[in-house]
Amino acid sequence: MDTIHYLGLGFGVALTPYNLITAFCGTLIGTIVGLLPGLGPVNGVALLIPIAFALGLPPETALILLAAVYLGCEYGGRISSILLNIPGEASAVMTTLDGYPLAQQGKAGIALSLSAWSSFIGGTIATIGVVLFAPLLAKWAVAFGPAEYFVLMVFAITCLAGMADNKPLKTAMAAFIGLALSCVGIDANSGVYRFTFGSLGLADGIQFIVLVLGLFSISEILVLLERTHHGHKAAKATGRMLFNFKEGAFVLATNLRSGVVGFVLGVLPGAGATLASAVAYMSEKRMASKDNQFGKGDLRGLAAPETANSGAACGSMVPMLTLGVPGSGTTAVMLGALTLYNITPGPMLFQNQPEVVWGLIASLFVANIMLLVMNVPMVRIFTRILAVPTWALVPAIAIITSIGVYAVHSTTFDLFLMIGIGVCGYILRKLDYSLSAVLLGFILGGMMEDNLRRALSLSNGELGILWGSPITVAVWALVAVMVALPILRAWRGRKPAPLAVTD
Amino acid sequence: MHDRIFAGVNLLIYVALIALAWGYQSPFAYEPVGPRAYPLLLLSLLVLGALYQVLKPAKQTEPREEPPLNRQVIRKIALCIAAMVAYAALFDVLGFILSSALFAVAMAYLYDATRVQSAVGGIVIAVGLYLLFDYGLDVPLPLGMLAKLGS
Repeated sequence: MDTIHYLGLGFGVALTPYNLITAFCGTLIGTIVGLLPGLGPVNGVALLIPIAFALGLPPETALILLAAVYLGCEYGGRISSILLNIPGEASAVMTTLDGYPLAQQGKAGIALSLSAWSSFIGGTIATIGVVLFAPLLAKWAVAFGPAEYFVLMVFAITCLAGMADNKPLKTAMAAFIGLALSCVGIDANSGVYRFTFGSLGLADGIQFIVLVLGLFSISEILVLLERTHHGHKAAKATGRMLFNFKEGAFVLATNLRSGVVGFVLGVLPGAGATLASAVAYMSEKRMASKDNQFGKGDLRGLAAPETANSGAACGSMVPMLTLGVPGSGTTAVMLGALTLYNITPGPMLFQNQPEVVWGLIASLFVANIMLLVMNVPMVRIFTRILAVPTWALVPAIAIITSIGVYAVHSTTFDLFLMIGIGVCGYILRKLDYSLSAVLLGFILGGMMEDNLRRALSLSNGELGILWGSPITVAVWALVAVMVALPILRAWRGRKPAPLAVTD
Repeated sequence: MHDRIFAGVNLLIYVALIALAWGYQSPFAYEPVGPRAYPLLLLSLLVLGALYQVLKPAKQTEPREEPPLNRQVIRKIALCIAAMVAYAALFDVLGFILSSALFAVAMAYLYDATRVQSAVGGIVIAVGLYLLFDYGLDVPLPLGMLAKLGS
């Protein structure tokens, strides 16, 4: 009953005209950001943080804006996947497999509207999941002490590596690089300067906006440069623009199943939308009858990843809100935004600031409806945006990125740092390391060290506290499973695994 | 092969960082862990991982989605990075509008625009973004040399 009361409170917050307009702007910006090559949800959200501050938005409005942008990106990402065969972001990779063939068959309009519908179903299923499970988890998480949190973050890191199918070691290394980067700067507990090399700019650590924009925007700009050099062609959105009832009914079961898969994987810390869309696609393919058209333009192959990645985007709000542990790169950035507002996400947030949490949850429903309404009739307008030439787009992205970085501290040191990080990110990306793992590691790193040190202070240096409670033992068991998974897979399938996750 | 070289270089960096982190000690011990344990733990795990990668690099199982780099692309990428560094260096000195206009013109040209397109496009982008961010969104931007003209 409490839940319904709080949900009512949340809708009260989300439906104020100011927040409705914010959600509308957010979804619109998100869709555009998602469909433009070179900008994804991670850097889209990161770029908006300084703007939200400059506009003086209150915390719940800022969060609604960021969440709306995040969801909008998951919707927008599909447009460039279907029409250009270029995923606007990592989680849209699976959408290209069946989306682009459909567009080539002249069914681009159907593919676009059906995928918007799928995203809507996924988002709605997952938001209902958030309403049901987040308060439960929050109640349970109050019992978490620093030792439990530390183990939980170890689990998040191993989850990231254990689920990253074909290159667990590289993903783990990427996450550890992120963890190590979080050590840079003055150590709050002892006042020792670590890895600053005498530079004042590094004294209070690497700003996470600098890291995010360097890793994702700068490296993407360099990848786009390669792509312009090689050239590519877009498919036209022609034919019937709306899917019919028969097509909708055909994929409904797929939608429902993938929505649940998306939510569950979104909730797992570290897994996120990219994995969810891959798992949903693969399981639907396995479930389909022998004469399926998967990979050649099957509607189910389009619906599955689209439903799942929207579901995961909403689901990843659960660990962020209840535990303060991000479930994906984008929620990691949102977490950073919350800490800028001096709000510590975690179980206490549900008790102390219910209007922030429930306002956000209610606005997920609102944003999903807005996106559906916006995306079906306006798809033609959005596809026009794809006609913006790269030569105009890239300088604009590069300059906006620089503004975002400069706005934090007003020093050009951060600009140089961002370029340096971007070049390293480009090299890592070329060598198939996961950049979102670096980011998650970076965000988790600081919290992980704090909790470890707090736990060991409590126990006076006794390491036993790390496996002293039933919760920690249970989480350690899960960690062991996650470490065993890739080893088992490598041992069992000496032949290359067919499942390929590109992030 | 690239993987192996990369892992090798990283290995050297990690070892150097361990040597650096070894010296991190606080004059007063408030708590049992201290500032160097956690970075040392992370770096040693990274060393182990990099060692494994040097000895047994991962095989390329799936085909690459992007064509391999050739000399021309590498030259372009170097130019692009140089443009960004120059932009960062000039940002405060020339001010946002001038430095952005120069940068946008150069970048547009690099991304295959014609000369006219890049000149017009670059200036429009720089001025447009200045108006949008400084007036529309209240994000303060440096005027640099132009500030003297205004006053």
